[in-house]
Amino acid sequence: MALRSAAFLAIGAVLLAATPLRAQNTPGQDKLVVDIWGGNFRDGANEAIAKEFTKRTGMQVEFITGGTIDRLTKAKINRDHPESDVTVTTSHVGALYVTEGLFEKLDMAKLPNAKDLFPVAIRSPYHIGLYSYVYTPAFRTDLMPAGYDIKSWKDLWASEVKGKLGLPDFDPSHIIIAAALLAGANAENWKVGIPLLEQLKPSIKAFYQSDATSQDLMKSGETPVQVLLSINAFHQMQQGIPIKIAIPKEGAVVGIDAIGIVHGTKHLDAAYQYLNVALDPEVQAKLCGIYRCGAMNEKAKLDPELAKLPGVFTTPEQWKTQAIVVDDATRAKLLPVWKDWFTENMMQ
Amino acid sequence: MIASARWRAAPARPRPFFLWLFLPSLAAALLFVAALCEVAQYAFRVFTPGSLEAGGFTLENFARLARPIYLSVLADTLLISLATALFTLLLSYPVAYAMVRAKSDFVRSLIMLLAVTPLFTGEIVRTYAWILVLGSNGFVNSVLKAAGLVNAPLTMLYTRFGVIVALVQFSMPVMIIILAAALAHVDRNCERAAANLGAGPAKVFRHVTLPLTLPGIVSGTVVIFAWTMSAFSTPQLVGGGKVLMISNLVYLQGLSSFNFPFAAVLSLLALAVAIGALGSMRPFVSRLERKAAVN
Amino acid sequence: MNAWLATRLSAGLFWSAVALILGYMTIPALVVLMTSVSPSELLEFPPSGFSLRWYERALTYPDFQGAFVNGLIVTAFASSLSLLIGSAFAYLVERYTFGGRVALEAILASPLIVPHFTTGFGFLLLGANLRIGQSYAVVVATHVLLTLPFVTRSVYVSLRNLDPALERAATNLGASPLQVLRRVTLPLLLPGMAGGWLVAAMLSLTEFTASLYVTAQRTQTLPVAMYTYVREYTDPTIAAISALLITFTTILMLIANRYLGLRRILAIDAH
Repeated sequence: MALRSAAFLAIGAVLLAATPLRAQNTPGQDKLVVDIWGGNFRDGANEAIAKEFTKRTGMQVEFITGGTIDRLTKAKINRDHPESDVTVTTSHVGALYVTEGLFEKLDMAKLPNAKDLFPVAIRSPYHIGLYSYVYTPAFRTDLMPAGYDIKSWKDLWASEVKGKLGLPDFDPSHIIIAAALLAGANAENWKVGIPLLEQLKPSIKAFYQSDATSQDLMKSGETPVQVLLSINAFHQMQQGIPIKIAIPKEGAVVGIDAIGIVHGTKHLDAAYQYLNVALDPEVQAKLCGIYRCGAMNEKAKLDPELAKLPGVFTTPEQWKTQAIVVDDATRAKLLPVWKDWFTENMMQ
Repeated sequence: MIASARWRAAPARPRPFFLWLFLPSLAAALLFVAALCEVAQYAFRVFTPGSLEAGGFTLENFARLARPIYLSVLADTLLISLATALFTLLLSYPVAYAMVRAKSDFVRSLIMLLAVTPLFTGEIVRTYAWILVLGSNGFVNSVLKAAGLVNAPLTMLYTRFGVIVALVQFSMPVMIIILAAALAHVDRNCERAAANLGAGPAKVFRHVTLPLTLPGIVSGTVVIFAWTMSAFSTPQLVGGGKVLMISNLVYLQGLSSFNFPFAAVLSLLALAVAIGALGSMRPFVSRLERKAAVN
Repeated sequence: MNAWLATRLSAGLFWSAVALILGYMTIPALVVLMTSVSPSELLEFPPSGFSLRWYERALTYPDFQGAFVNGLIVTAFASSLSLLIGSAFAYLVERYTFGGRVALEAILASPLIVPHFTTGFGFLLLGANLRIGQSYAVVVATHVLLTLPFVTRSVYVSLRNLDPALERAATNLGASPLQVLRRVTLPLLLPGMAGGWLVAAMLSLTEFTASLYVTAQRTQTLPVAMYTYVREYTDPTIAAISALLITFTTILMLIANRYLGLRRILAIDAH
């Protein structure tokens, strides 16, 4: 018995000794590390931006992934030893990175492509918009009654949606803003919409925690109606899932994803290169072709088919009539309040 | 601490290597206490929205616990933990009994493997497996549909029922180990004596075996209760945000809202409930043990 | 005759119930195995064919590779440190009385009761305030504390079962305390230590909740990477990697049962 155990321990000791200690070194010593969401976001950024970046610089890109706020929290905790060089995040969350001092101030001279951007793209001296999309209601045409359509955010309250609606738990701002608008107020006075939000509860079936759970709930038919990211809906439509995206008459909530350079990065020049590549008109067109979203570079030539899609805004007219735009500062300030309120009052 | 230790026991006998043995354990204990103290001190700090830096000291975080949502999540957590502990006990006892009492060595080993292996596959693997089993297009619904028993898929994901089904399976290996240990310690002579006195198998079980394993039953139930309080991924993934337990709130508050102070309060609450459950069982256990000794 | 029939019948009922319950415990693993070889990205039962594409993706996905190596590093250090500290502590508790012993015992056993997210959150805060973030040191420390009670228990049981006469005999024959420890006590404790180490290693390798708090990308372990994947993709890659883990665990349990005796490791046997 003792012999066998000794052998067992010996195997363990060998395993221990053989463990590659070198791996303890930070990965990405000579790679540019970009933190971003996972799934098709990472895959798209890899395809459109990283490949072009590597072609131009010879430097590899490594992606690290996680949820929006989770990544912000981890960035704060590890601020003395940043894990990434470039961060892609939602623009209003980017504003929080900026107030925390987690981003480098950008030297626009190092970003030649920045001069061709729509003015809306310059979110702050620290972060720049990459593309725009909408959060809006969408539904499975095969799982809802024939002829069903969503014309207004108000339709989410209707009896047809009872027990069928999926909402994000990580960012409740869209439904809160929509309810505020329906109640005749706006994002700042969102509390006016609270009674309406309370009435929405019977419609809600589940909350999704990530893009993948959103897609999963849609794919499996678990929640055939969702307020979701247009990019995720298009991604699934490409996979053959019958989804219709609605642009309600009140408009869809616009979002912009932005990019920034992590403060304290050891690859500052490469990071600038990466940003500049990401803002290149051709790269922008390719990225938006993959994500099915609106470009931030005026010169990006979007596929005409893409430009026709709901939520892909290409004209000032569309921005005026179909978009609900809330500024970063308001959203960043209210997001924690909204999350708290939402967790405490809606998720039960 | 070390000085007082020497003073008390030094004359009794030589204690070779005392410091060598003592210091690592002391270091580990101090580390753990330090981690818990961090949680405790954050619980009293002011939360500044949007910032990780906590401000001065306050009791406000605790006052927030009185809001209805937290009471209902606490009630849910207790309910789910209790239901899980009880169902785990009911399902584990027969398995533990079979595992200890089966006549064939092979059967005993087989049960052992089937019952214990899930413990070591980890939380994520098992939780994911239950998503596959319980989903709308999952295993159970596919079987039911194929058998013509249901037309529309049953909703099992995102319900308390689904969460409990997964948690019970998750908890059974530990319960089985505890119960099997208790059953293995039962003196078979007591059972034989009862049988000789004319008691049928059911009677022997009810009046001899069951009382003798009561301490195991109680401690198993308490352990599973505390263990379930700690579950995170199962309510998170199987519950889909519709079933919230304290663990999910801690994550939502801590890593997803960076409200560290309130996450700390919730962590302490969970700790207090776990300790409370354990403490309330202690007199019960010792009374049972005394009773068992008298019998 | 009736009594005989009743006994047979209830025995039959009992064993059917046991089989059903074991089925309930095992079905998730079987469903995972089934899904892992399904060619489709969507869930389907029974699978429409046989494909190893998800295994290929699981084995080549860089996050899993990195996380697997991270996990091995963490597990190797954590379970070994846990073995050293836990064995020392078990010896201390079994052989010596000293002031504060009860307190020390309570503290080191408490990770069993303290919810894992509380422990993880505590070490996260500790790491952040010591300005070492979510580094290996923090992850390993967390895992050591979480596995310590299991090692301690395993070694303690072995110590209780050890015949003190053997050690006395060695002492009487003139062996120094160090010689007694090395030549007599430790060899006799080896099975308990091996079992404790194995349990610690398995628990560390699969620990998730606390790890979610204390790991960052560069230190994340496999369960954390898998959790992230479940949140980001919807394909059965997780089924493939789960199937691999289930197979690995089952084989390991078979080996452990054969050579160390599972009942012994888990302290189920009487005496």
